[in-house]
Amino acid sequence: MRRSSRHQPGTAAPSREDAAAPAGLPPVGAGEVIATAAVPTDGAKVRSSHPLARYLRRRLGVSVLLLIGVTLVTFLLTNLVPSNPAVANLGQQAGSDPKVVAAFNAKYGLNRPLPVQYVIYLKNLLHGDLGTSLLTHQPVLSDLGTAIPATMELALGAIVLSTLIGVSFGVFSAIRRGRAVDQGLRVISLIGISVPTFWLALLSYYIFYYKLNIAPGSGRLSPTMTPPPHVTGLYTVDALLAGQWSTFADAAAHLMLPTLVLTAYTVGLLTRFTRSAILEVLDQDFVRAARAKGLPSRIVLRRYVLRAALVPILTLIGLAFGSLLSGTVLVESVFAWPGIGAYAYQAASHLDLPGIMGVGLFVGIVFLAVNFIVDLLYGVIDPRVRVS
Amino acid sequence: MTQATAPAELPIESLVRRRRWLRLPPAWRTPLAVIGATIALAWVIIALVGPLIWPYNPLTQSAHLLQAPSAVHWFGTDELGRDVFSRVLAGARVTIPLALLLVIMSMLVGASLGAIAGFFGRWVDETIMRITDLVMAFPTVILAMVVAAALGPSLFNAVLAALIVSWPGYCRVTRGLVLALRNADYVLANRLLGYGPWRSLRLDVLPNVVGPVLVLASLDIGTAALLLSGLSFLGLGAKPPTAEWGSMISDAVQNFSDWWLGVFPGLAIVTLVMAFNFLGDTLRDALDPRTASIVGKAEQV
Amino acid sequence: MNISYRKLRWAVGVATVTCVVAACGSSGGSSPAASSSSSPSLVVDTYFQLKTVDPSREFEGTGQMVDKALYDTLITFKGADTTTLIPDLATSWSLSPDAKTLTLTLAKGRVFSDGSPVTSADVVFTLDRVAGIEGNPSFLMAGVTASAPNPSTVVLTSKTPNPQLPYILTSPSLGILNEKVVKAHGGTTTQKDAAETYLNSQSAGSGPYVLSSLNVSSQVKLVANPKYNGPEKPTYGTVIIQNVQPPTQKINVQRGDAQLALDLTGNQVQGIGGNLQVSAGPSGVIIFLLLNQSPAISKLTSNADFDTAVKDAINYPALLPLAGAGTQPATGVIPTIFTGSLPAGQGLAYNLAGAKKALAASGLAGKSVTLNYPSDNSPSGVNMNTIAQAVQSQLQAIGVKVSLAPQPTATELENYRDGKEQIGLWDWSPDYPDAADYLNFGPGALVGLRANWTPAKAPQVTQLATAASAAGASDRAAAYQAFQKAMNATGPFIPLFQPANHLVVAASVTNAVYNALWTVDLAALGAKK
Repeated sequence: MRRSSRHQPGTAAPSREDAAAPAGLPPVGAGEVIATAAVPTDGAKVRSSHPLARYLRRRLGVSVLLLIGVTLVTFLLTNLVPSNPAVANLGQQAGSDPKVVAAFNAKYGLNRPLPVQYVIYLKNLLHGDLGTSLLTHQPVLSDLGTAIPATMELALGAIVLSTLIGVSFGVFSAIRRGRAVDQGLRVISLIGISVPTFWLALLSYYIFYYKLNIAPGSGRLSPTMTPPPHVTGLYTVDALLAGQWSTFADAAAHLMLPTLVLTAYTVGLLTRFTRSAILEVLDQDFVRAARAKGLPSRIVLRRYVLRAALVPILTLIGLAFGSLLSGTVLVESVFAWPGIGAYAYQAASHLDLPGIMGVGLFVGIVFLAVNFIVDLLYGVIDPRVRVS
Repeated sequence: MTQATAPAELPIESLVRRRRWLRLPPAWRTPLAVIGATIALAWVIIALVGPLIWPYNPLTQSAHLLQAPSAVHWFGTDELGRDVFSRVLAGARVTIPLALLLVIMSMLVGASLGAIAGFFGRWVDETIMRITDLVMAFPTVILAMVVAAALGPSLFNAVLAALIVSWPGYCRVTRGLVLALRNADYVLANRLLGYGPWRSLRLDVLPNVVGPVLVLASLDIGTAALLLSGLSFLGLGAKPPTAEWGSMISDAVQNFSDWWLGVFPGLAIVTLVMAFNFLGDTLRDALDPRTASIVGKAEQV
Repeated sequence: MNISYRKLRWAVGVATVTCVVAACGSSGGSSPAASSSSSPSLVVDTYFQLKTVDPSREFEGTGQMVDKALYDTLITFKGADTTTLIPDLATSWSLSPDAKTLTLTLAKGRVFSDGSPVTSADVVFTLDRVAGIEGNPSFLMAGVTASAPNPSTVVLTSKTPNPQLPYILTSPSLGILNEKVVKAHGGTTTQKDAAETYLNSQSAGSGPYVLSSLNVSSQVKLVANPKYNGPEKPTYGTVIIQNVQPPTQKINVQRGDAQLALDLTGNQVQGIGGNLQVSAGPSGVIIFLLLNQSPAISKLTSNADFDTAVKDAINYPALLPLAGAGTQPATGVIPTIFTGSLPAGQGLAYNLAGAKKALAASGLAGKSVTLNYPSDNSPSGVNMNTIAQAVQSQLQAIGVKVSLAPQPTATELENYRDGKEQIGLWDWSPDYPDAADYLNFGPGALVGLRANWTPAKAPQVTQLATAASAAGASDRAAAYQAFQKAMNATGPFIPLFQPANHLVVAASVTNAVYNALWTVDLAALGAKK
């Protein structure tokens, strides 16, 4: 039996990298070269170590290296900018006083040579200390601790809603290919990915809040509401856990509009991608065989088509979630949502170096974690990945 | 007479028109394609013709500040008294060329690296793939802001920042395509006949890769336009007083109740991006025989 | 196909349910802030300029407003007036004839939020701390030493004559701290001070409010100080200050979600009616152009004729509507709300013909120059991009090509302070409410050096500046006016206008007046019965 890690073109198990390509291109073979298992020669069942575990260990090692790479690149880039954080963060009079500037630089360790600063940063990182923000004067870790759950709430809501709607639309559109419904859904999804998010946010805010008074105002909660006791940082979940129904309703109401804006784009993306992924699978022999066996369409769709198409769809959902977590600056600025996007923008425009590094690190972790989990799911869903 | 004549009842012109229409591949005959092509063509013409159709100079300020749309100013005036309609038309001259530039540059950089990675394999492949991972793990906005702060905000620097985050997509796809083709029989045969690796890459593999990559690029023009206008919205792209749609929307945020400042540039972005997306979709359908042949199979499920 | 329809319906169903819940939530959740409890609460919307509320470290707009409520100063102002000094923690004070010694007598019986009495030791500790930790406001105490001969007297000694010291003491950055509490949490009078974190979560002052919670990017919550025994007992038991963009401020205050909106521009307050009151006041901010006097930076702006041409080419009245309704023309670098400013009509004027003549005399027509300015700065709601583009177009009219170079403030500040800008567009808000602050614009002074304007280039103006700083109480106004006239004629600064600040107030709130130093005195607000 040929044990090749390369998949032939046209099989329904494309690699993750290729699934990252936009919808429509035929998934071609060969992604990562996965460690091949040793063939037992003497009948003994035990292999040297589980291939999936080895693969994951290797991925973990590479991810850690990549994270260090992200910190290095962020550090270099922010220090390339020709200006002076002390000047940016002190007042007019104070910034002109060399003693005050020196005190500022000493306090934040800015007066040491760059490589030393970087090494100190890495050392502190290993202790869980991400430094103190030059802007908020708080530890970056606690700043991120409040900002991340805010964006997480948005991203989770958006991805759940987009997955439900997008995958359904995609499946529906694929099996009704060529009909009016398909055309209509294609147009809707195309419009979804054509609308600029920042414009949609402004427009929906203007119409639904300013003119129609349906949606509540900016921020996560109405000003008179106090946040629920902190468990996860997600106001809706925490309010539910504490049994505060009015707080839950208020938080959910504030969540609605930004989530819908974020969903608009992701739904379009998911619909298109699901549609083409399903279409790829529909052409396979095994689907035809299942039909020929006389299985009802429902079973064919669920157990054969969807399962095969699930891998690339899951990949895209993972990537979409990752980009939602790290790229919501525009929506957060319109809705005054105190999330990671707003924090990144503030940090970048005030040259808050520890803040920028913290955000870069977080985004890097998100990206690598998402890839890692998707690889794990690959192994779970597609047995060929496990044994090859 | 050897020339065939049409039957007396049918007028010749309609027959000729119908034949011309039928000569188009099926994918191009959909309403989607027609609408997309028309709008995209309209915007390109607007960009090319430029000053000839602007009713006012987009840069001329006047004392008529923040006026609502009227017969004199179809889209109203902005906070410096400039005509919004002219500025929206002028914005096409900025966005379309830059989006094309971004796509072409990303494609060249990404596809080259991806082809090299896919073809030569081993540590070259590993290195390039790790670099793409690193770049993809980087938040776009921060990168753009840092580039703008380091080099000064300008449209070209925005394109540069966008280029840095856009090339990995092309790289990965090209790599995948090349990996599939690398071991095809005809490639191996030519290698046996003495082709060096570069020659093999250039003559055997790349011509078959170009097609799908071009399709990808055409699908990407709309995304590029969105990315550039997003960067301008954040103040990292177009410098004032350039008329650019993203920065016009950003100015509109200050004057929230003057809806015409933000609505019209936004609609311009939407129609342009939509048109290019429609076109790209149609192109994909037209060039990809596999999905085209699936019509009807879906009915059986 | 059945199964897809099912999925579709399920998805739509979930979405509908969520919308229904949200609609219920929005109608129930956004209750008006003036609750039915015994002491009403107040919501204030502002665009945050806030880094810390440790008074010895803060020197930003929002920080001043918050610290005015949390901490008392020795001397203060009332309402919108910034010329008449009012006693606060000090009941009386006297300045020595040589203006180098200020003796203050403390009020009796005033206590901090923990009940302990306010003594001169606390005052000395606070003022030493401001000077010693080298934070943003430490320059206020430059050259000043404090001592406490007895528990109710404080003596401030300055190295050079300091007639503006009583005015400086009104700044909320010099709010008096509770020495014992601050020291207990790591506070010292040196750079090793570690009390900032504590002071950002709890306040240690004698003011009408205490700090309940602080998030520098979203919200500050203040609660009435139960132990307060000063003259200004607050009406509102809870004050919530939210960080909101100006357009959203307008929406919030119109819908009743907030009672005060502090950052709306003149254009945005047009057409606000209903039960909202709009009060405008001069902000004390000056927007100005800077022309670099160094030939190495620009051969154009260092040419005196070119500078005259620019001063004449600016259409000052046309800039006023661009900056928003209520904007006042600027007569000189000193805003009209302070003593010593030039009267109306004596400032620079628009003179197109004169501009063209001066440009021809300079021989620099048709050349180009760069206008640098911070792109993300909106002093008093003025959009710097708009003003820059207007200036560009006005200079274009006389044949000077201007290219705009906006940068984020953080980056542009460096160029500004290093004197590298050719033409700069900046704002100046008063460090303290006295004309002496504007000596910073003189040759060789802080801002003068940013235009590379040295005393060697302008000996006459330097003389007038020295005379003004040494003038006695009755001659000060005239001396500062002479200084400004000379500056307008030969200096590198072109004051453009003074933006106004607009307060939009709900009808239920009374006594809301704008103050140029701390925006609004939260403790002085009243509620309509």
